[in-house]
Amino acid sequence: MPNIVVLVKQVPDTYSERRLSDSDHTLDRDSADAVLDEINERAVEEALLIKEAQGGEVTVLSVGPDRATEAIRKALSMGADKAVHVSDPALHGSCVIQTSKVIAAAVGKVDGVDLVIAGNEATDGRSGAVPAILAELLGYPQLTHARKVVIEGTTIKVTRETDEGLTHLEASLPAVVSVGEKINEPRYPSFKGIMAAKKKPVETLTVADLGIDAGEVGLASATSTVVEAAPKPPRAAGQKVEDEGDGGAKIAEYLVGQKLI
Amino acid sequence: MDFSLSEEEQSVRDWVRTFVRKEIQPLEQEVLRRERANQPGLTHDVLVELQDKAKASGFWGVQTPEEYGGMGLGAVMSALLEAELGRSFVQFRFGGYADNILYHANDEQKQRYLLPTLSGERRSCFAITEPGAGSDARAIRTSARQDGTDWIINGEKTFITGGNEADFTMVFAVTDKEKGANGGVTCFLVDRDQGWRSEYIDTMGEWGPAALVFEDVRVPKENILGEVGRGFELAMKWIGRGRYMLPARALGACERLVEMAVEHANTRVTFGESIANRQAIQWMIADSAVEIEALRWLVLHAAWVVDQGGDSRHVQSIAKLYGGQKANEIVDRVLQIHGGMGYTRELPVERWYRELRLLRIYEGTDEIQRRTIARNILKGHASISGTLG
Repeated sequence: MPNIVVLVKQVPDTYSERRLSDSDHTLDRDSADAVLDEINERAVEEALLIKEAQGGEVTVLSVGPDRATEAIRKALSMGADKAVHVSDPALHGSCVIQTSKVIAAAVGKVDGVDLVIAGNEATDGRSGAVPAILAELLGYPQLTHARKVVIEGTTIKVTRETDEGLTHLEASLPAVVSVGEKINEPRYPSFKGIMAAKKKPVETLTVADLGIDAGEVGLASATSTVVEAAPKPPRAAGQKVEDEGDGGAKIAEYLVGQKLI
Repeated sequence: MDFSLSEEEQSVRDWVRTFVRKEIQPLEQEVLRRERANQPGLTHDVLVELQDKAKASGFWGVQTPEEYGGMGLGAVMSALLEAELGRSFVQFRFGGYADNILYHANDEQKQRYLLPTLSGERRSCFAITEPGAGSDARAIRTSARQDGTDWIINGEKTFITGGNEADFTMVFAVTDKEKGANGGVTCFLVDRDQGWRSEYIDTMGEWGPAALVFEDVRVPKENILGEVGRGFELAMKWIGRGRYMLPARALGACERLVEMAVEHANTRVTFGESIANRQAIQWMIADSAVEIEALRWLVLHAAWVVDQGGDSRHVQSIAKLYGGQKANEIVDRVLQIHGGMGYTRELPVERWYRELRLLRIYEGTDEIQRRTIARNILKGHASISGTLG
């Protein structure tokens, strides 16, 4: 009966316009609707599938501002059992290494963790580094970019999918897994799940609760920061191809010119 | 005064928003294509498939009592859901709905009509309107005369929503001409195979209502819904079942339409400048935003009064009238902002333009709502200071 921790993150909705703040180039959280990152829904779904087959408990873990409770509730309404929310103004502007340290400390607050499941890359930061750094900090094996996860006793088998192909990985629990887009189709929360989510326990922690000094996290001591940002230039006008009976050839010529075919 | 949503309200609302975005909106182009080929936009099979998908998550029978397996949601929550559904023109509705008056059926009738309607096996239609009795429902002439223990129905109904697809109707007929609406109208549950027929009525919208024709249709007394002579009360109960839901749906449509207009205004360039920089466009956006805000709170307030159990007819009429008026003004502006493109059938704006026009007519015309509102104010049944008194 694996005890699973799922990392979830609230991100700006990809359907809305996303911006960085003018002052410190961190995410402007007020400029867009905030949602549970879709890749995290897949991570939660995978945890729930394992729980449904083998029992155990699913704990959702999020590091984010107070507002991130909405994303946590969504994960709880899908069927996770409880949540840990690390929320502290000192975390503003934290880099991936600082964030991973906080997550590692928070995972340590959950008893007897067998498996940590994360999305392989958030749609906002897109560093894709947290699962690997976390595994390193926890001393767990890392099985990233999972397309398929199988747990047999204390062994975990993962099919990793990358552009190069499929790799079959095997490790002992406890381990860190990050899932890719094709792992599963996340369920909709059920109406009953939504109603029950409110009653599920959410433990809110500050960095001090995790034994971390506030000076070790946040923008001032971050190992990487955004120094400059500019909005993407608007798309330039396309190239019109007049079809004078040779449209197909012209398009092919253009694509060859662009090295697309 | 708290205008925020509870955690549950927000989660349930967000669920529907996601469902509409992921399951309904991707169907829009195909629905438009089908409607323009004079076919039903959403086939019954696809509708049922979507309803089953929602049901798997427990979204079924939004206002249906929990004892019948429904969600048993209140009016405010229902209005929030309806507004989300309104964000697409695809005619989706959750399964597990039955007309409120079917709950007044006796046990045997519930087995034959209510339960199969909830499960989707049977489809109903409510038939009171006649060629000579629309807003003035008291003027109905369809009659039922007793013959032994049976009743024989004769007459014609018109503009019956769902009448083409229904396999039974709740039809209202005069059983005592002297008493008329005051104790002389009875409601009958009549199966299509008992002899009535429907005729499609073509409208400026994408789907048409039906005319129902009754020629010596014989029904046993077991098919009377409620009591002989008490039909008009049932009819009023059906008509008053949730008028706030109509402007709620329009609210969602207006939100989506203005989002489209904003996107178009920000990207469309004329004379070297985005039309969003033109004051003429800005004023249209501003007026629409103000009216949508007002409509939102009129709808939610009306629903709130329903949930409080008070007399909600006045506030529901206000929300319905305002919704009908403003949705039409807003869709007209959105079409104007889109210019020639708005008038084409490439975009759904013209489709919404035609559909929303109905809101000023059905389920109580603008004029009937105004009559209700004016009477309430003039006779002192409602305060001009509103709910706050």
